[in-house]
Amino acid sequence: MVLVLALGDLHIPHRAADLPAKFKSMLVPGKIQHILSPGNLCIKEVHDYLKSLCSDVQITRGEYDEDTRYPETKQLVIGAFKLGICHGHQVVPWGDLDSLAMLQRQLDVDILITGHTHQFKAYKHEGGVIINPGSATGAYSSITYDVNPSFVLMDIDGLRVVVYVYELVDGEVKVDKIDFKKPQ
Amino acid sequence: MMSTGNGSNMNPKPVPAWLNSAAWASKPRSPVRASYSFGDRSSSASLVESTARPGGDLDDPLSNRAKPQETVASQEESDASALAEQAAQAQISDNSEHSSDSDENKVAKSPSSFDYRVSLFNTELSRRRIHLAELQRLSAQGIPDAGGIRATTWKVLLGFLPKNRDEWATELKKKRATYAVFREEMIINPSEVTRKKEEMEALKAAELDALEGPLQRHEISQDDHPLSLGSKSVWHQFFQDTELAEQINRDVKRTHPDMQFFCGDNDFARENQEALKRILFIFAKLNPGIRYVQGMNEVLAPLYYVFKTDVDETNANHAEEDSFFCFVELLSDFRDHFCQQLDNSAVGIRSTISQMTQLLRRHDEELWRHLEITSKVNPQFYAFRWITLLLTQEFNFADSLRLWDSLLSNPDGPLEILLRVCCAMLLCLRSRLLAGDFTTNLKLLQHYPAIDFNYLLKVADDLKN
Repeated sequence: MVLVLALGDLHIPHRAADLPAKFKSMLVPGKIQHILSPGNLCIKEVHDYLKSLCSDVQITRGEYDEDTRYPETKQLVIGAFKLGICHGHQVVPWGDLDSLAMLQRQLDVDILITGHTHQFKAYKHEGGVIINPGSATGAYSSITYDVNPSFVLMDIDGLRVVVYVYELVDGEVKVDKIDFKKPQ
Repeated sequence: MMSTGNGSNMNPKPVPAWLNSAAWASKPRSPVRASYSFGDRSSSASLVESTARPGGDLDDPLSNRAKPQETVASQEESDASALAEQAAQAQISDNSEHSSDSDENKVAKSPSSFDYRVSLFNTELSRRRIHLAELQRLSAQGIPDAGGIRATTWKVLLGFLPKNRDEWATELKKKRATYAVFREEMIINPSEVTRKKEEMEALKAAELDALEGPLQRHEISQDDHPLSLGSKSVWHQFFQDTELAEQINRDVKRTHPDMQFFCGDNDFARENQEALKRILFIFAKLNPGIRYVQGMNEVLAPLYYVFKTDVDETNANHAEEDSFFCFVELLSDFRDHFCQQLDNSAVGIRSTISQMTQLLRRHDEELWRHLEITSKVNPQFYAFRWITLLLTQEFNFADSLRLWDSLLSNPDGPLEILLRVCCAMLLCLRSRLLAGDFTTNLKLLQHYPAIDFNYLLKVADDLKN
């Protein structure tokens, strides 16, 4: 039972001041085992905050990140799943499923976590799952209107993943659940 | 031939003392044989038999008592190492007597009185209605390490198994089922809970296997997600228990690091550790008053070990359940020692320690004065561990099993004899303590030297006046 948090595109301090208070109250240390962030945090203070929630933080570089040392892509194995992270601004057209599927095959992962579009998406495409946690702060995006703050928590348990989607709709936290199994 | 029931016997009258004389023994007297003289079944020859018995590393500590035991009736000279209980009393309790001649001949001829003690226990345990006092008396001399006798005896002594043998099967089944229920309720894995919930809602299996397309979102209540802070949430409870589980985990990993049974690098040891963790966790959840305190793992370890190494397969497989209940029983006498708030009260650990020092004072004022006043060794420095952990940390594992035989078989309860044994431990080191100052005394008491157990228990018994 491994809990993996995926959140990105915070754009602090450029486009947003902080995470929504309701999200912050839920994110307490000690519960989460891994944090994966596609990028665009953008400053070191946000990285430190994420580190305070969990010691294992994996970040890839978004185009506005101030730390240039983050890699473009990352792969890791958690339980029976291979996960990959990439910000997504490198993949053109932005948010296009086929292109993202190409990246997924390239990285050879089961679950690909991307961002950049600031819109939550979870797709099963060509044998893999693509998850876009959206923007955790609801930061402005030029390609999406009316961005709702959202992030994703995955519960990896054996061959099954339960994805909990936390979205702030009209000031209230809405939680949805998605299940999928790894094909044998 | 074998007496059944409550000890009906061919000779209802107690055998007169002169009949116990060694002159009636069928074999010529030798130090080992002396204990077989007619009528005296209650010898502490268990210590002798351990030397005769091959292998058996558990009995090795007993073998350092090389002197043979002579614990016949008063006619025999009993040396200092004989247990006072049997010395001179030679209670001819009907139950323990195998009054048939052939039996005695067979026994007297047997090369090892270990077998004899084993047969005694087997007889006692196979009665339809177990005579608790008799079993206690037998156990106080040490339970032979064979055939799961210790496991069964401890279970009877702790009240886990009823005295009526017919009820054993039903009791066991009932208690083991209760434990299974506890385990279900207390040890929650929230992922499992969510999974079961889904299966109940008959989720579209088709969806799980769908190959393409957006994954469907299902709304869930505020309590069902891992970050929920609601008190009803399974997840929230799970995370609150994690801290408790962490603490238990740390302690269990450090229990008896020198023993393969607990800390070996194999699946068996890991399984044992998991069982210990589960027992302690469930106990902590069921007793929110004292929860888990460091040290409970040490009290649990001997129980679990003895039950798990039971020769009987079924019993060994259910060692976890059995040791849980026995642990609860055992701790019911001592739980106040673990409660911090009760430390200074009349039932807390401080009061028990002072009971022990008062006992010492009554029997040996000089030593007491020297310890308390001259060398200023606060009894809490050494007695705290002795009493709360029931002396498991003072001697090696096998010795402490032997000691627990005596502790558990005391008719007045384990605490009473524990205090006496602690006092005896001090008395046995008398000369060294009197000669030492604070540092040496403290060092000596905190690293108690190996000692002849027989002698220690005899001294403890002498204090019982």
